[in-house]
Amino acid sequence: MRTDQGATYAAGERVRIKDLGKPGHVRTPLYVREKVGVVDAYIGQFENPEERAYGRIGRERIPLYRVRLKQRDLWPDYEGPERDTLVLEIYDHWLERA
Amino acid sequence: MPERLITDIGGLPADAIPREEVPQLFWEKHMIAMFNVLWSKGVFNLDEFRRAVEATPVEAYKKSRFYDRRTDGMTDLLVEKGIIDRGELAQRTEAILRKGTRDDAN
Amino acid sequence: MTHDHDHDHDHDHDHDHHHDHGHGHSHPHPTREDDDVELTYGEAKFIALRAMLIEKGVITGDEVRRRLEINDAATPHQGARMVARAWVDPEYKKRMLVDGKKAAIELGIQVTEAEVMAIENTPEVHNLVVCTLCSCYPRSLLGEPPAWYVSKAYRSRAVREPRTVLKEFGLAFPDEVEVRVHDSNADLRYVILPLRPAGTEGMSEDELAALVSRDCLVGAALPGPVPAA
Repeated sequence: MRTDQGATYAAGERVRIKDLGKPGHVRTPLYVREKVGVVDAYIGQFENPEERAYGRIGRERIPLYRVRLKQRDLWPDYEGPERDTLVLEIYDHWLERA
Repeated sequence: MPERLITDIGGLPADAIPREEVPQLFWEKHMIAMFNVLWSKGVFNLDEFRRAVEATPVEAYKKSRFYDRRTDGMTDLLVEKGIIDRGELAQRTEAILRKGTRDDAN
Repeated sequence: MTHDHDHDHDHDHDHDHHHDHGHGHSHPHPTREDDDVELTYGEAKFIALRAMLIEKGVITGDEVRRRLEINDAATPHQGARMVARAWVDPEYKKRMLVDGKKAAIELGIQVTEAEVMAIENTPEVHNLVVCTLCSCYPRSLLGEPPAWYVSKAYRSRAVREPRTVLKEFGLAFPDEVEVRVHDSNADLRYVILPLRPAGTEGMSEDELAALVSRDCLVGAALPGPVPAA
């Protein structure tokens, strides 16, 4: 169904989720900011919710990825084993190579 | 530290998860259907709605009910877009409460 | 049921159904499901809002009623049907894991979400879905989310201490099993394809679907027999 067309990052690449400190509506929760994970999958191109939230629809589409993080990287005192993970969706401009 | 959106609560300490099944009231179902119609007709989009909910004052958000947040967020957007007048809505809401019936439902 | 009690019943003796009219008519008769529920500010606000939007021609009552019907068809049984089909048909399962929305449509389910991703539980990985920022949920396949799913407590805790949360739901996994949490924070909606329970080899697709409860479909329960009546 999905091609890699338009993807900046490939599955398996290590990425850091930035903290853009951007006011207003964003979909990157605080608990993953500045954390490092790997790209689980490239999902495709979507409109930016940070634009859509202010009624600006039909604009440029941007790459969206599922990013997988280790729970122990998210929470130093995590309750479970090393192998536990969390996956969430992050837009291209919130990522950088790590 | 960037400002935390009121909705951004992942990882914060919290109490026990309420496990009781709460049936959806008919008006709540009806309100969701209306919300869906407004959204599918392009009157507002989901991200605008989320942004409207995030503008709720933090104390009000903590105490708010799930379905009231829907109605309130939707109302704020309809006012913002000039589709309805907030004063008129308040007056008509009060009138319905005074009458105490659901006769205005249609 | 809806009856109009404002008219005089005595004019019509031809009807062959027998309502119980033994109660007095001094109180307003419930004509809608919620009439025994106190009219709250929230509901009154909704009624006023809807009347205003209809008057202004933004929406029609019929549009809302039609959508109500579509939403009513969205129940956990829809997601359960997909799971049961995936358990008996490996080709369907492949298609479901590639594109959950197409796989739902294939079973005649009306999907209102833009994208649905099905995620498979395996002996090595158990998956749990949460939406920390709001209440994203695969509504077309499961209906409206339960109170626990939209609770602030679940939204806060599921990403921080998923094993404790799962234990509270009656699910314990050994450390050899990875617990993977999916925060449904953007454009996809997630449905979990649970592991098929052992001992169900001879079951029909309908019998299998009956093993899949609502909470299995977001990873907060495991499929199992319906409690005996």
